[in-house]
Amino acid sequence: MRAKLVAAVSTGVLALLVAGAQVASAAIDVPVEKSTLKNGLTVLVHEDRDLPVVSLYIFFHTGSRNERPGITGISHLFEHMMFNGGENTVGKFDEIIEGNGGSTNGYTTRDFTVYLENFPPPALARVLWLEADRMRALAITPKNLEQERGIVKEERRLRTDDDPGGKMYEEIYLQAYSASTYRWGPIGFMKDIDAITLEDAKEYFRVHYAPNNATVVLAGAVSPAEGFKMVERYFGDIPAQTPPEPVKNVEPPQSGPKTYAFHKVAELPAVSIAYKAVNARHPDRPALDVLQAILGHGQSSRLYRAIVREKELASDVDVSFNWGIDPELFWLNGQVRPGKTTKALTHAIEVEIAKVRDRAPDERELRKAKNILQADYVRSLSSVSGKANQLGFYETVFGDYRDMFKEVDRVEAVTAADVQRVAKTYLIDHERTTVELVPDKPKPGGPPPRPASPASGAGVMR
Amino acid sequence: MKRGGGDPMKRAGLSAIVVAMLTIGVVGCAHRSSLLATSKSTPPPIGPPAAAVTMPKVTEKVLSNGLTVLVSEYRSLPIMRFHLLLPGGGAYDPVGKEGIAELTADVLQQGTARRSAEALALEVEFLGGALGADAGTDFSTVEGEFLSKDLDAGLDLFSDIVLHPAFRPDELRRAQGLALTGIVASRENPSAIAEQCYARYVYGAHPYGHLSQGTEASLKRLTRPDVLDFYARHYVPDHAILVMIGDASAADLMAKAESAFGGWKRNGGTLATPPAPTHITGRHILLVDKPDATQTHIRIGNTAIARTDPSYVQAGVTSTILGGGFGARLIDELRVKRSLTYGAWSGFAARKAPGDFRMGTFTKVETTGEAVQVALDVLEKFATGGATAEELQRSQSLLTGQFPKQLETPGAVAGKLAELVGFGLPRSDLEAYPARVNATTLADVAQIAKRWVPTTDAAIVIVGPADKIAPQIAEFGTVERTTPTGCEGPKAPQAVR
Repeated sequence: MRAKLVAAVSTGVLALLVAGAQVASAAIDVPVEKSTLKNGLTVLVHEDRDLPVVSLYIFFHTGSRNERPGITGISHLFEHMMFNGGENTVGKFDEIIEGNGGSTNGYTTRDFTVYLENFPPPALARVLWLEADRMRALAITPKNLEQERGIVKEERRLRTDDDPGGKMYEEIYLQAYSASTYRWGPIGFMKDIDAITLEDAKEYFRVHYAPNNATVVLAGAVSPAEGFKMVERYFGDIPAQTPPEPVKNVEPPQSGPKTYAFHKVAELPAVSIAYKAVNARHPDRPALDVLQAILGHGQSSRLYRAIVREKELASDVDVSFNWGIDPELFWLNGQVRPGKTTKALTHAIEVEIAKVRDRAPDERELRKAKNILQADYVRSLSSVSGKANQLGFYETVFGDYRDMFKEVDRVEAVTAADVQRVAKTYLIDHERTTVELVPDKPKPGGPPPRPASPASGAGVMR
Repeated sequence: MKRGGGDPMKRAGLSAIVVAMLTIGVVGCAHRSSLLATSKSTPPPIGPPAAAVTMPKVTEKVLSNGLTVLVSEYRSLPIMRFHLLLPGGGAYDPVGKEGIAELTADVLQQGTARRSAEALALEVEFLGGALGADAGTDFSTVEGEFLSKDLDAGLDLFSDIVLHPAFRPDELRRAQGLALTGIVASRENPSAIAEQCYARYVYGAHPYGHLSQGTEASLKRLTRPDVLDFYARHYVPDHAILVMIGDASAADLMAKAESAFGGWKRNGGTLATPPAPTHITGRHILLVDKPDATQTHIRIGNTAIARTDPSYVQAGVTSTILGGGFGARLIDELRVKRSLTYGAWSGFAARKAPGDFRMGTFTKVETTGEAVQVALDVLEKFATGGATAEELQRSQSLLTGQFPKQLETPGAVAGKLAELVGFGLPRSDLEAYPARVNATTLADVAQIAKRWVPTTDAAIVIVGPADKIAPQIAEFGTVERTTPTGCEGPKAPQAVR
């Protein structure tokens, strides 16, 4: 039976206020229609016929924040298992997508898990059929689990264990949070990846992979009417499930700065400094975005000028502030240049933090930050896949895709006093966590390498 | 404005070389539509063919100073893109001065005759824009992106760094320091080590044998006169290509391009294409010691064809069967069937002179021998047996189906156009791409695989803890050992003379 389609139509017209002249310079029209199937599946369609391409992004509202110690990494491991296909498409998923001109991938964050395809319009029904097949009944077998477990362990080695930067990323969250499930990252701990059982996987699928816990976004050469009809046809009979228990992430206040020096073989020392900030929907979040741009965006940013150009302590200082369902970290990270010290870099970052607490930015610096954020927003809409991803993100993290169209105004409303206020509220010493990477020398190996032969390579078989 | 969620764990990281191969093709391709049933167990039919992709309308003009200007209107977003392609990248670094092309590009962005480095950065970023210069292998590139309302201001900034860079000594010293830090930092990245060692090992003393970043020793030797000399020889209009795409009329864009770059002085020199590199005979194995790594990185390759080779498109189809997308053979054998890796890929490098064909993967140290064996078996089987009809169809569909995505943003279109014209290829090659992909036959694939997929003649580079790896790879041939820093400089191991 067809579900009643109640389409809420909204057109986001963004009047961009960019540059000092405060002249509305462009209006970007992103028409979206929304519908909810009877089984709770949310569907968003954005029609854009510039190119013969459709992007399908499915957001499941589950990520590593929904995990617990012992099964960390299961959301991401599960994302991998999904590509083995549903009951009718076991081992055929990639082959069918690519054989019909589509590309496919997925990604997992702390907050959600996304499956995506970009494909020619004639493949629409087939792609939806594939996605519905795996949402309805994923083939969860010992073989699939073991296969993906091995692959995911290689992924962890690549991104985390053999990458000092990846290891720093893991450590700063672990050290900064004591209770929030944001402590661990989507990749999970190696011992947990090893320990996840088939029962864990089946239970995870049952609880989290239900239509009422997902958002389907279609963007590109597809009309809302056709999109809704097709999604209903393929997903309409998948039963809803009891919604998963909500995650209650309450992080207790920190009562003093923490520092952790961890040792790893690396060429250069590095330092990360993190403060606990707010979630994406918090009213202070836009002011923290502006602060992030002032401190860390580009060569005119404060940290680049002070630390990279003037003091020459690091080759770059990243300032990162992600938008999360739960309060995220505002964190700064830099690799120490040869001949300089971690202590000097840490001190220089702290000096710049103190400055933003002590004095509000001037109007020109504030305007620059807003222009940067607003131009970034325009660029994020330059592909149908980008738009599908943005719409799904807002629907998942903010609970309403229309929040996307409020963003330009939210940034515009931030004042210089707001920037100073959020710096004083969140970038405070007793909430600070510092992680230092102390490079170890590699253990001396066996025999010294043979000198390279002068002309041609030694040990050559002709 | 930005996505949350931090560093997402993606399902697979495909290297740049594969992404480069996944160029292209139009719809209406070889979709099998024999299955008409719509029950849950059978795939639904393919829908009616979509509209063909609309090709960007391009206006071209060669200015009197030799500069080729291409402009195109893009009306979907208020974005303006500038892209300048200059013949001369890292392959044109004088011997002993490796890294000069990249250093020149770095300092280009650090101030002009009338703007200090800080003033320049502030102006660009105040507009929410971006400017960048970079040295590739055959070409250097300068790019800029601004909102279209800032077309004039953006073009002024873009042309200023191209035409009037100051190369102030203090900025040069800074850029050199940052580049050196980058070299040191790259030694903790096994994949970067593999790329550097592989380049010299497979190309030997050829200009493609070093990465454009240079080495610690060569970077320390570079001086301001070296930068001025590279700039004078390569930042000239004679054979350069300027692409401007954005939300403005073509006539307007052309007039502005002429006004900004019409006075650029030609230099009158010619630039030789690098000679063809030597094709490696025999199997050569280089083991690079990274004692703390938990994973081994592997590259297998040999020199192959130039970007201008008439079979380049068919070569891309061939390579996609082997190592492009998730349905590729290397992925199937190394990842899906055996869980030996998270990623495996292959591709032909797009170069002016013949470039190389290579495959790459990585695996935990304990399974190094097995992964190398499986990779060699896959290469051997492909070189001797070619592909199946299903494999060819998948590769063609993937490449043609993804083709429109290559034309989606001003930056993507500008890059494509500049690449074609820069290599001396007709612009019509862009439009012709899907048909060429679909015209590729199994015989073409078999021939290309036999000729270029490395089997007995191959350079193999393996990076990881050498003592644990050596016993696992002894059976594949004589192994030469080195270290990450051993791959830098003229004494780095080479598989060819």
